[in-house]
Amino acid sequence: MILGLQIIAVIFALIMIYFAYLHYRRGEINGLEMFFWLLAWTGAVFIALFPEIFRVFSATIAISRAFDLAMIGGFVLVIPIVYSAYIRTKRLEKKLEELIRKDALKGLNEAPKKNKSS
Amino acid sequence: MNIFIVIPVFNESKKIEGVLTDLKGLGLPIIVVDDGSKDSTLEKVKKFQVTVLRHRINLGKGAALKTGCEVAISMGADAIIMMDSDGQHKGEDLPKFINALETKKVDIVFGSRNLSMGVPLVRFLGNKFASVLIVLFFKIYVSDLICGYRALTKKAYMQMNLKSSGYGIETEMVVKVAKLKLRYCEIPIETIYYDRFKGVTIMDAFGVLFNVVKWRIFK
Repeated sequence: MILGLQIIAVIFALIMIYFAYLHYRRGEINGLEMFFWLLAWTGAVFIALFPEIFRVFSATIAISRAFDLAMIGGFVLVIPIVYSAYIRTKRLEKKLEELIRKDALKGLNEAPKKNKSS
Repeated sequence: MNIFIVIPVFNESKKIEGVLTDLKGLGLPIIVVDDGSKDSTLEKVKKFQVTVLRHRINLGKGAALKTGCEVAISMGADAIIMMDSDGQHKGEDLPKFINALETKKVDIVFGSRNLSMGVPLVRFLGNKFASVLIVLFFKIYVSDLICGYRALTKKAYMQMNLKSSGYGIETEMVVKVAKLKLRYCEIPIETIYYDRFKGVTIMDAFGVLFNVVKWRIFK
């Protein structure tokens, strides 16, 4: 059962590394971002294959199971990423709205000139 | 009072001609904002004597309304009447809004639909739940929070400084009316639902609900 979970985790991490590489080759993420994701997913593979290393850490910080530590670690990593993505999306939405609305108003200002020339 | 009608429109090629024909005889200047329609809406709107603006990309009802209102104000509007483009609002109700603005001296007039006027039960109940929530949070009762048929003065629009770009704009208006202590009234309007798949979806409703809580927390 544990072996099955480990295999799934490793396959998932490898797929995610492939996607990171794909986005890097397309120029959608830069070298530093590619390095970050490579490091994160390699770390996940390492943890999936050698969970006993985790037990030492979990015992040190008084967490009874290594799995619990993995879950907490996952949340600690995911929450800032989601928050940062949310802020960036909001910022982009705002910029896009400004741009599109300015463009619409430009169209209105140009319309009377066209009428005059025709 | 110089009154403009602002109509945001998105993919309403089947209904928009009917809406504009209905408003033809009223003699009020009309501004139509095409919010990135993919069908023939824009071509149909251009056949009428109206001011047409176009968002290249669909931004949402709120953004389209704000564009329309800003243009109306730049063209000299003292007040603006907002209407939906799907034909659910009738031109014959328009004089009620003008009358309320002119005689009751209010800043904003909310249109209000009710069950006997054709609102589906689920929407009616959802709307009432939201109204109760707004009363609890902001101490203002508007019976139909999301009705798109409403009128407001230029001064009220400028004061409100609306931020929402989607369907949340109607609820934001109510919240801003409460916060700014603007004068308001409600008038009953007739409504016809042609398409139950258009308009505010359950996901939009959750989004608006999230915003209501956000507006309450971050005053």
